[in-house]
Amino acid sequence: MFRKNTNLKVTITLVFTVLVSLQAFSQNNWNVPADKKAKNSYIKFDATSAGQGEALYNKNCASCHGNPGKGNSMKTLNPIPPDLSSAKSQELTDGELFYILTTGRGVMPSFKSVLSEDERWKVISYLRSFNKGYTQVLSKFDPNKSKLVKLDLSYDAATNKVTVKAVANEKSGVVVLKDAEISLFATRYFGRLQIEKSIRPDATGLAVFNFPKDLPGDKKGTVELVVKVTDENYGEIELQKNLQIGVPTDKPSLRADRAIWNVVTKAPLWIIFLYSLGVLVFALVLAYLVFSLSKIWKSGNNNQK
Amino acid sequence: MSEKEQKPKKKSRREFLQDLGIIGVGSVLAGSAIFAGINYDKRKRPFDRSRVLKAENELLEIERADGSKVVIPKEQNFTYLQQRGRDGLEGKRFVMVIDLSKCRNARKCMNACNNAHHLSEDQHHMNVLKMQETKETPAYYMPKPCQHCDNPPCVAVCPVDATFKRQDGIVLIDNERCIGCRFCIAACPYSARIFNWAEPIHTLEEENMPYNVELNVPQKKGTVSKCLFSADRVREGKLPYCVSACPNGVYYFGDENEDAVTNGTTKETFRFKKLLEDNGGYTLMPELGTHPRVYYLPPKGKDYPFHDKDKEEAAEHLG
Amino acid sequence: MSDQLKADKITSDLLRSIRLNKSFLVWMGFLGTALLICGYAYFLQLRDGLVVTGLRDYVSWGMYISNFVFFVATSLIGMLISAVLGLTGIKWAAPLARIAEIIALAFAAIAGLVIIMDMGRPDRLLNVIIHGRIQSPIVWDITVVTVYIIMSTLFLYIPLIPDLKICYDKLDKLPPFARNIYKLLSLNWTGSGEQANLIKQTTRVIAIFIIPVAFAIHTVTSWLFANTSRVGWDSTIFGPYFVTGAFVAGTAAVIIAMYFFRKNYKLQDYITDFHFDKMGQLLVLVSLVYLYFNLNEYMVPGYKMKKFDAMHLNSLFVGAHALLFWSVQILGLVLPIILLIFKPMRKPLPMLFIGTAVLIGAWFKRYIIVVPTMEHPYLPIQNVPLNFKVYSPTLTEISITILPFILVLIIITVLAKVIPIIPVHETIEQHEENN
Repeated sequence: MFRKNTNLKVTITLVFTVLVSLQAFSQNNWNVPADKKAKNSYIKFDATSAGQGEALYNKNCASCHGNPGKGNSMKTLNPIPPDLSSAKSQELTDGELFYILTTGRGVMPSFKSVLSEDERWKVISYLRSFNKGYTQVLSKFDPNKSKLVKLDLSYDAATNKVTVKAVANEKSGVVVLKDAEISLFATRYFGRLQIEKSIRPDATGLAVFNFPKDLPGDKKGTVELVVKVTDENYGEIELQKNLQIGVPTDKPSLRADRAIWNVVTKAPLWIIFLYSLGVLVFALVLAYLVFSLSKIWKSGNNNQK
Repeated sequence: MSEKEQKPKKKSRREFLQDLGIIGVGSVLAGSAIFAGINYDKRKRPFDRSRVLKAENELLEIERADGSKVVIPKEQNFTYLQQRGRDGLEGKRFVMVIDLSKCRNARKCMNACNNAHHLSEDQHHMNVLKMQETKETPAYYMPKPCQHCDNPPCVAVCPVDATFKRQDGIVLIDNERCIGCRFCIAACPYSARIFNWAEPIHTLEEENMPYNVELNVPQKKGTVSKCLFSADRVREGKLPYCVSACPNGVYYFGDENEDAVTNGTTKETFRFKKLLEDNGGYTLMPELGTHPRVYYLPPKGKDYPFHDKDKEEAAEHLG
Repeated sequence: MSDQLKADKITSDLLRSIRLNKSFLVWMGFLGTALLICGYAYFLQLRDGLVVTGLRDYVSWGMYISNFVFFVATSLIGMLISAVLGLTGIKWAAPLARIAEIIALAFAAIAGLVIIMDMGRPDRLLNVIIHGRIQSPIVWDITVVTVYIIMSTLFLYIPLIPDLKICYDKLDKLPPFARNIYKLLSLNWTGSGEQANLIKQTTRVIAIFIIPVAFAIHTVTSWLFANTSRVGWDSTIFGPYFVTGAFVAGTAAVIIAMYFFRKNYKLQDYITDFHFDKMGQLLVLVSLVYLYFNLNEYMVPGYKMKKFDAMHLNSLFVGAHALLFWSVQILGLVLPIILLIFKPMRKPLPMLFIGTAVLIGAWFKRYIIVVPTMEHPYLPIQNVPLNFKVYSPTLTEISITILPFILVLIIITVLAKVIPIIPVHETIEQHEENN
């Protein structure tokens, strides 16, 4: 009992310390890793990219951060989202801005799945347009190099594993993308469902993912898989492939059964029966009454004659 | 509002006044004769249904811009948009998950919704409520759309099939059919339905817009309106207006058949059942047996404060 | 006095009212003017929409629906009085039967209009027939109300056939077209045994059939509420609760009508103090039954005070609706029962006042059933103006609520003007039997 209590106290203290320090971080310091901090854009920050970035900013960022320089950010949030044209925000390197935008933290959401890498850089281009003293350092990255990359996707039913192979066919020979980040997704109606975590390939360029056994596919069990490879040298490369590895799913229409709320042709039989019976009884009684009235009429006619 | 729309309306009002006059001043015998006629119609309806519907042929075929196949209305008195809106998407069962721990009452969802469906500021398809269950339990913000129940009490009571449930689970209202009896409003335990008490404010863009059941625009006077799970956006594979407008990651939306929901803010996709399992998902008032398609994640570990100014309002409903 | 002379006197007494006189024209003129004023209010509603009422998204059913329930309720008892008392062979009610039937028919016929007044799109009324869903209680309601109106008309008409013939024979001062209508409607009545038997048999069939229909109209109306899961409506006894409530309202309406017909048509020999005494006893009986259902309806949830029930009941017992609730229960139900136990209170004039109190109470009882529930949904009412939360009817709405009452009065007045309101043929028959 005592032991447990101590453990509990230690845990609480630890959690509390972590929370407080996290809070402190989120207030000011984003603690961006050095390599990410040094990252530069391969997109030129000019009027075109800034213009495209403005549209993206207004759609995704303005609701909290407000318009740059207008001081109309959302004051009810804690911390208050900074004005991104401010000197303090502009002090951040392109790499830091990119990292913050990509990962997010606490109140600030991640835009990794919302904006492509190109789009994220365009937003930063827009933000830099408010900084007169800024000069861009372009990344040496060559977008054309992505064409050299060859991706391959295979599935082993016995072990239920999906294997991705990522290599680049350089002039010098086949190069393994050993520093690349490889992600596997299953396409869903509104977005991509990531399968396990992103991993780096092994020395032979293979990345192996355990595929869940219970993921629904279409009627035949087909699932559209997407492999996304992100590499510092080769950029973003994607491969799509349909495989029959999901659970065949063919759920009936939610309107299939008879129900009290369904359309009249799908009404429960007891209601149809009772309603029709009621109307039928009424019709018979009415017919009887009309018949009786006509008999009275005829009888009177005969008497008069 | 356009001239075209106004004229037939005025006419029908006049006609109705005449009817009223006839019924009101006319004798009881004439009245009962009319009712007998109505009843005769009603009696034959189930058997002669198809013939009656054919007589009112209003079929309007519209070729879709992308050249995909035209849905030929099964019941020919519907326009193409009405029929498409009534059928819904095959093989889908839409669900929404609302994470109460993330809602901070930013109300971007409400604004986006009101703009999309041309609602006035007092009308809410989506309403962010200040909730508190008991005096001791904490207050929290709760966005409340229509729950799109699988056993919808509102659809059950509709006398004219104006509100209906689609095969993909979405509950919609056809304001070309609605007679404005407001039985559905009375029957809904979630207060999800609203009514156009006056002529709605019509925007310029509505002028030549055909009525789209999936958007419920243009809104019409004397008809019910409600949250539509943005059926028009969902058809295009886009997330609903409220879901994508949220800056705080409160909303997830997806297809239960695919076991996946996508967060509207981060666009990250999660396994639907696992999300509920990991976070203790629940539905509102399950004891009513309505089987909502909107799930809530409890306001556990909220990363925002409940504003002091809202506390009084939240406590009002404690009873 | 010989039988023939007596019969002649009865005939002339009872047919005396069928003629155009000044008071009738003045009364109809008054009703017509009132109809125009209230009709204008309805015109405003048609033009501007239901925004002219105090109804809003949360309290979306208010006075109109209360009014509808009241009309259906009041229409129920008339047919039951003549059917049940007729079938069981209770003779004293015979002179009252037609008054009860006229009231029932008038209220039933107008109930349908009341529901149209509540509709946002009355121009789409026919949708209910073209696209009707038989799962909806509204469709059941329209069906049974229609059946009830047809049956009531026949129930009024068939026993009237011999009287129509008498009208044709005796009212020779009427213009020919009016007499021809009487002749046509009397279906060649000659008074032969065969015809008399047919009428007797047919009346019996309708009398039997109309009892379940009368129960059905109000039970189905109660299901408009009970088939939802709202607090205060979600009750299994709503059917009998409404039906017994209808007995009270209808009996009161018949008593009031008896008083005025007796006074205006000088029928003191036919509607006697004895009839008032009996109707008073009937009112006590049905009120006691209704009181019993009230006890069940309010005591059972009041004992448990479940969260949402408690909100609703507190507003009735001690809250915003308390004054109205207790007035209705005490002045409209408990006090009349106590008063009517004493025989002097069952004289015509006190009965008029008691009947009026009961009828007014019955109207507000429907209001108390409809409105407070709508003000107490499960989820809080927020982010809307104050008038969405608290219902207060507008003047236009009140005028439109009065409109159907004027129509009912017109129907009753006209019907009572063209047909003898006390069955002539039956009265003569009974008189002959007694001798």
